[in-house]
Amino acid sequence: MKLVRLFAACFAAAVLPAAMAQTWEFGVGAGAGFYPPQQISLGSTSVDAKLKTNVAVSTWVGQNMGNRWGGELRYSYQLGDAQLKQNSTEAVFGAETHTIDYSFLMYAKPSESTVRPFVSAGAGIKFYRGTGTETVVQPLSQYALLTQASDLTGVFSVGGGVKMKLGSHAWLRLDVHDYMSPFPKQLITPNAGANVEGWLHDIVPMVAISFGN
Amino acid sequence: MLRKLCLPAILSAFLLGHSALAGTFGSVVSIGGHAADVALDEARGVLYVANFTANRIEVMSLATNTIQTSINVLPQPYSISISPDGHWLLVAHYGNLAQPDAPANALTLIDLRNNFAKQTLALTDPPLGLAFGLDNLALVVTTANFLIFDPGSVTTQLLISIPDQAAKSIPQAPQSFPPNIVAASVGASRDGSWIYGFGDTLEFRYDVRNHLLFSGSYSASPALGPRAISVSDDGVYAATGWSMTDLRGVDFAEFPSPSGSLNVGGHAIDSVNGLIYSEVPAHITDPPVLTIRDTDNLTLRESLQLPEHLAGRGVLSSDRNTVYATSDSGVLILPVGNLNLTPRLKASVEDLLFLGNFCDRALATQTFLLSDPGGANVPFSITSSNPAVTVSPKSGTTPAVITVRVDPNAFAGQKGTTAVQLSFASDVAANLPQNVRVLVNSHEPNQRGSIINVPGKLVDMISHPSKDEFYVLRQDLNQVLVFNGTNNTQTAILRTCTKPMSLAITYDQTKLLVGCDNSQIISVFDLATLQPLAPVVTTGSYVQSLAASSKATLALMRDGGGGSPNIQGLDLNQRTVVDYSRLGVYQNKLPLNTVLAPAPNGSSIMMASSDGSVMLYDAKVDTFTISRKDFTSLGGAYVASSFGKYVIGNKILDSSLVQTSAIQPTTGLSSGFVFVDQSGLFISAPDAASPGVLERVNLLNGTATLPTGVVEAPLLGSTSAAFTRTLLMVPSRSEIVALTTSGITILPPNYDAPVVAPFISRAVSAADLSSPVAPGGLMAVLGTNLSDTNQATGDVPLPTTLNGSCLTVNGTPAHVLLVSPTQVNAELPSAAAGNVTLVMHTAGGVSNPFVLAVASGAPAVFLMTLDGVPNVPAIVRWNNNLVVTATNPVHRGDILTIYLTGLGAVNPPVNDGDAGLVDPLSRTVTDPVVKIGGINADILFSGLVPGMPGAYVINVGVSASTPQGLSVPLTIAQDGFTYSTNVRVVQK
Repeated sequence: MKLVRLFAACFAAAVLPAAMAQTWEFGVGAGAGFYPPQQISLGSTSVDAKLKTNVAVSTWVGQNMGNRWGGELRYSYQLGDAQLKQNSTEAVFGAETHTIDYSFLMYAKPSESTVRPFVSAGAGIKFYRGTGTETVVQPLSQYALLTQASDLTGVFSVGGGVKMKLGSHAWLRLDVHDYMSPFPKQLITPNAGANVEGWLHDIVPMVAISFGN
Repeated sequence: MLRKLCLPAILSAFLLGHSALAGTFGSVVSIGGHAADVALDEARGVLYVANFTANRIEVMSLATNTIQTSINVLPQPYSISISPDGHWLLVAHYGNLAQPDAPANALTLIDLRNNFAKQTLALTDPPLGLAFGLDNLALVVTTANFLIFDPGSVTTQLLISIPDQAAKSIPQAPQSFPPNIVAASVGASRDGSWIYGFGDTLEFRYDVRNHLLFSGSYSASPALGPRAISVSDDGVYAATGWSMTDLRGVDFAEFPSPSGSLNVGGHAIDSVNGLIYSEVPAHITDPPVLTIRDTDNLTLRESLQLPEHLAGRGVLSSDRNTVYATSDSGVLILPVGNLNLTPRLKASVEDLLFLGNFCDRALATQTFLLSDPGGANVPFSITSSNPAVTVSPKSGTTPAVITVRVDPNAFAGQKGTTAVQLSFASDVAANLPQNVRVLVNSHEPNQRGSIINVPGKLVDMISHPSKDEFYVLRQDLNQVLVFNGTNNTQTAILRTCTKPMSLAITYDQTKLLVGCDNSQIISVFDLATLQPLAPVVTTGSYVQSLAASSKATLALMRDGGGGSPNIQGLDLNQRTVVDYSRLGVYQNKLPLNTVLAPAPNGSSIMMASSDGSVMLYDAKVDTFTISRKDFTSLGGAYVASSFGKYVIGNKILDSSLVQTSAIQPTTGLSSGFVFVDQSGLFISAPDAASPGVLERVNLLNGTATLPTGVVEAPLLGSTSAAFTRTLLMVPSRSEIVALTTSGITILPPNYDAPVVAPFISRAVSAADLSSPVAPGGLMAVLGTNLSDTNQATGDVPLPTTLNGSCLTVNGTPAHVLLVSPTQVNAELPSAAAGNVTLVMHTAGGVSNPFVLAVASGAPAVFLMTLDGVPNVPAIVRWNNNLVVTATNPVHRGDILTIYLTGLGAVNPPVNDGDAGLVDPLSRTVTDPVVKIGGINADILFSGLVPGMPGAYVINVGVSASTPQGLSVPLTIAQDGFTYSTNVRVVQK
């Protein structure tokens, strides 16, 4: 409960300057998050660890800065069970993520264009939270332990997409983001002797609609 | 309390009428004469009583149980009956007057609808009795004729003449009662379809619907008394004196040991409930007692003291609640439908078995409930036949939990089982409660076998020939007890004929036969389904022993006619017996105390008699081929082999029944023998309270080897039953079964295998098998040969012996939870301190003394195996009630429940072997200190687990500042000892 309030406060703070600038954009979107698995190794064997593909929703406020540049503050929520998998053996534990990031957008066409391709890059924070039911035994626990715990990590975001004008104040957006974060070791804890290296990618294609002046 | 005590007493007094006698059942209505017969007229609410000597028919009100009027009639009204339409009361007058008086035999017809208007009809011959049938005609039996009396025309019609029956003349000597003078009784079924009757030698049944009479003569010894007849509602069976007979005239059950007195006793059948209310005393001097028995085999259900004797016929009210019976004073009213309002005593057990524990000489206790089946508060007192067996309370008021205490020291010198009787008395209870048999077993470690208590009088036992099932004959309840021979559980109870004597299985292995001494039938059961089949009728004979061969199935019979006991064949197709006029070249006359033993392959049947004679039936030639008398007496075991060897007592006989050797050495009296291949097993005992001795016998020379003590004595023969069959081996040869003092005793086939003395190598906490042990905690004693098998118990308090293994701590027996060959789990006595000495006692002997250093506190968390993962500490998260593991880690802020042992003294304390208290909880005297990752956890509770002996629990709150990690140390410290394990801790 405390966590939700914190996000609400952040969101309100971010919206306020954009609205005051009178060159704002507000949007909502939905899509899915895909996590390429990371390997958790134990000796010569390993297990695939990731969050399972599931629905992702997002909302943002954007700020237009001239004809070609923009910025947006985005909040994303994703469902996605934590998963360990080795051949046909699988361990799954309920989980969710919350992400807040700020990205700069560079448009390929000016603001008057009907269709505006763009690329984006930014950074923020990502909150992983285990929501499953802990059990006494769990498959593949020699590699990693799925726990009702949480991780707060930094996140880098890169992506791109296209905005298509639907009317004088409405846009349809198709975009994709890759959120890169350190591996959430509280949620998916490598067991003694096991190791996991690298970053966890979260690739989120999304369809969105935005409104602005 | 006072009201509960008084209310049933008041109700009982009300229902018992004006009975002034405490502790008796029923109320007496005196008529000032001798009652000869009763007839119940429920429509008018009266009972008619034939007052034989006062020449009256007394009319008793059923509402007030008082004589409201009398009808003067001709002299000696003996037999009365009411017509089914309720119009007529017919009276037979026994006027067989001796010279110079003229005979005055007559009938009086009383019109019940017309102010008792009377008509009389003279009879030529003395009437023996009468009864109306459903056709409103009465059957009148005289000494010469069966007559049909029509009340409409007041005439009789001859049905059939019979040879003159002896009739006593009047006057008779003083103290002669109506049944002694007339000596006959006639009665009809409730539906009027059948009329039964009998006299001194005449017996008959009359089919009213078809006007068919079946009559014949009989002889009985003793006389067939009481001279009363009771008929079932549909006339399918009747009680005639001490015999139960059916429509075929088969004597299917007899009352035990009847005195034969004609005027003492009586009965009434409740065929709806299958009961007969009866008094058939064994001696005329016996106090008056009503027995309630099953009608099919007269199994005794209850005995109730009566205020006076019954004296002939009893009639049951249509609601089956009240029996009105002729009695010494006139009429006895028995409220049988309200037995629960009669104060009675009943114990919840038949037997209490105190199994010997050779290292525990402390008082042993067991409890049972003594209650009134009706729930009333009945005063009682208890007497023990042995001062070493005491009860508490000795007297009181029901319901009461009776604690029976046995002082083992009093039985310390005994190496077997002593039976002690607890008897009950009450000034108020009307019943004669069955004693409780207390069986006190005490045996040495080297005595073998496990006792299974089977109450009752067990008289025979046989095994199924091809499957592990065996049958035990319980004589007192007329039952075959069926046991599964793989786990020795009782799987079925078969109801048998009355006083079963002997078991046999037919050669084709399809039927189980049960012969009885108080029935003229042999019970037959389907061995596959254990369902009863049509019995074999043994007219006039009573089976003493049965055996089946491949040719004939033989029965040794007691002759009901007084002749010599003899052998008869069984025709299992016709369900009859075949009389053998001779046994081959020999007379068919045998001593009563004779038994038959079949060869397992059906080739022969050996017969052995207590007078020392033997015979052999050869199935190949279907006759008796051998008869000898080489001994002055025989008794004990009797068994035939399939290879021409026979054993009687301790004698081994060859195929000609010539003794070839004697089993020796032997101890005491022969009891049982079983052939095993070409050798045998022999069980004997000096007396019933001594240990049994089981030994292997070489049949060639009789040498008995490896004599091994058995935990108690096998059943031994007596003067009246010299032979015993008490030993069997189940077909799979997985166990040996012996009939013994307390029931049955099970022994493994290698019962005499040499065993090694136990050895203790280590004693550690039972929780983790490594920590030290504290007083009151559970310890594991590790070593070798600590027990021959694994056995655990859930009993609380914990026993001090399991499977014959026990452990002493400084000489005091410890309470044990589990025994196995390499580990014994036990509770260290709470008084243990410093260095203590452990000694293990088993059937193999006594262990080395092992010195154990006892810590005052030695906490150790129980370890368990979860899904194949061993050594998981028994720490449970309060949140989800699951054991803490890496995947169910401790969260900061959690409450944990830690199950452990070794926390030492508690307050309030509990007795050794007892479980932790529920209210109040027993808390540790010294609380432990629990740390996780070095951070103190709050102790919320520390004490015994309620309901579990020796187990402790600590409830702790996990600090929010507890360090996280995959493996965080959790320590429990108490009195200088610190236990440590690791847990995973994660964020809140």
